[in-house]
Amino acid sequence: MMSRLLKGTALAAVAALFLAGGAGAETIKIGMNAPQTGFAAADGKAAVIGAQLAVEQANAEGGVNGNQIELVVYDDQAAPKQAVPIATKLIEQDKVAVGISGSYSGATRAAAGVYQAAGVPFIAAYAVHPDVTRSGDFVFRTAVVGEVQGRAGAMLAGKMLGKKRAVVITLKNDFGVSLSAGFKEKAADYGITVVNEYEYSIKDRQFGPIVTKVKVDNPDVIYATGYFFTAGPLVSQLRAGGVDATVIGQEGYDSEKFITIAKDAAEGVIITTSLDRDSTVPETKTFIAEFEKKAGFAADMVAASGHTAAKVAIAALRKAGSTDPKAVRDAIAATNVTAAIGDISFNSLGEVRKNVQVQIVKGGAFHRHSVISDPDLLAPPEK
Amino acid sequence: MLYVELFLQGLIQGSIYALVAVGLTLVYGLLRILHIAHAGLFTLGGYIGVLVTDATGSLALALLVAAVTVGLLGMALYRVCYEPILNKPPFVALIASIGLFIAMEEIYRIVFGPYGLSYQAPPLQDSVVLWGMHLTQAELAVMGGGVVVIAVLALLAEKTRAGTAWKATVTDPQMAQSFGIDTVRVRYLNFFIGSALAACAGVMVALMNNLVEPTMGSVPSYKALAIIVLGGLGDVRGTLIAALALGVIEAFGTIYLGDLMDRDAIAFAFLIVVLMIRPQGLLGRKA
Repeated sequence: MMSRLLKGTALAAVAALFLAGGAGAETIKIGMNAPQTGFAAADGKAAVIGAQLAVEQANAEGGVNGNQIELVVYDDQAAPKQAVPIATKLIEQDKVAVGISGSYSGATRAAAGVYQAAGVPFIAAYAVHPDVTRSGDFVFRTAVVGEVQGRAGAMLAGKMLGKKRAVVITLKNDFGVSLSAGFKEKAADYGITVVNEYEYSIKDRQFGPIVTKVKVDNPDVIYATGYFFTAGPLVSQLRAGGVDATVIGQEGYDSEKFITIAKDAAEGVIITTSLDRDSTVPETKTFIAEFEKKAGFAADMVAASGHTAAKVAIAALRKAGSTDPKAVRDAIAATNVTAAIGDISFNSLGEVRKNVQVQIVKGGAFHRHSVISDPDLLAPPEK
Repeated sequence: MLYVELFLQGLIQGSIYALVAVGLTLVYGLLRILHIAHAGLFTLGGYIGVLVTDATGSLALALLVAAVTVGLLGMALYRVCYEPILNKPPFVALIASIGLFIAMEEIYRIVFGPYGLSYQAPPLQDSVVLWGMHLTQAELAVMGGGVVVIAVLALLAEKTRAGTAWKATVTDPQMAQSFGIDTVRVRYLNFFIGSALAACAGVMVALMNNLVEPTMGSVPSYKALAIIVLGGLGDVRGTLIAALALGVIEAFGTIYLGDLMDRDAIAFAFLIVVLMIRPQGLLGRKA
């Protein structure tokens, strides 16, 4: 009796679903891999909320040509071995029209190959490894590659701040190494001597020995790559250790958590990033306000990148007028939108063309320092 | 002066390692279990330290609450996770311990959030300048505190009945029991002290980094293993020396071998070299 009742209810529910599906428009799915657990969960969370915000905003405007958009998110733990099955599942089972990555380079590179092979467009929100876009013509990226951002750091240190003696402290992963490589490549051009260089692993939080040695090196600028959870302790230990040289960071520092960790030591730290907190552009202002309302914490670079990647995907779906992968790919390649991170377009490799925002910590918050817009210096790789 | 300062930095790091590794070596000495989840208790100490300090403004109270809470939790872990499988082969307890450690990391992430916690107004952050060397009060406290705590522990083991009972239980549990020693109580005490020390280390590390993350225990989890092997498994004095030695070697290695290998690689290279020359550990006698 009970089971018959249950069956009846289930049948009715299924029928209702079909009817609803038949009556309404189709749902277009955007797939997303992002770390929701493990060491990178904080960044993954911000990226996902950013992307969700973009989807909600688009749905409120009527979705894509009358169809609602759904964001399908799976946890890749920032691990390549998770990213591959997730990409396969998103493509084969969820039949997503576009994939976006809210994950780090390792996982993003792994997923990119799967999307390329399946011929489904894929947009990396903030993974910086050069090989991501080399996977093929269906792969795009809304972040500036590490080397290019490193060059912007060298210009900032040498030309804009007039520094001469630099110490480079490198986080030993693809992110930190590519940034430092870009900085060192251009340092001499801007009159900077790199007096010493140190490396650390992503698990390090104690930098006592490096601080001790940097004090002896006596630099006037420190180019230190890392994420807020390494840079926060590093900067506070540098200041506590009596080192007062200007610290230049990058988008990995770009989280209010960096300031929470380093407290007063964060004051005066300058970073190259993609989110301008003092922007007067409506798109960016709206994003910053709505993100904080939705997430309960302030927007950062990762959140803005997640939002931008989703926005690019949605804009392309609208322009393509269908979910045909080739048409969507071509629409992404021709992107020309104002996103939370500024005006963006893509080059032939699928690398983003955009300005680099320079932010400085003042009064316990990131504020605009300057904008680097030199197109030659910032030219992304073409192959 | 650079060398002196690097040496001091090594001792600071070494003191932290010592506080974590002592608990691990105590457990190994007593039960022959590699207690990986010990590093999870270290992390919990950090969380409690931040929460209590922020709520009350007292670091001393935070240390006390962290030590007692985590100490009791350590005892509970023994009762719930290890006691039922003591008569199984050692790898069973090892697997249970690894599983427990992963679960703890994820529980911290769910409960405290993925971003980690920081002190609102971290205490002991002022720099003390000694002969041109800058050390924060927190770093001095870690060095001083680590040495005092471990010295007291060594004294207790030598001079008190509980210490004698512990040593007897380590040497031969059955014999100790037949002499009227309550070996179960010894085990509980062992877990309490080891876990409480790890909690104190967690509070101090949280203070030095001003950050407690769910994964804060991942480095100590395996590095402490290297240290207790170096120290001669189950040997408290050896563990202390191995921890300080490793801290100092890492400090110099980070600067002078940094191009070749990272900090963790240095630790394990040191372990391999020592085991090649002295397979019984730094202080161990040849069997």
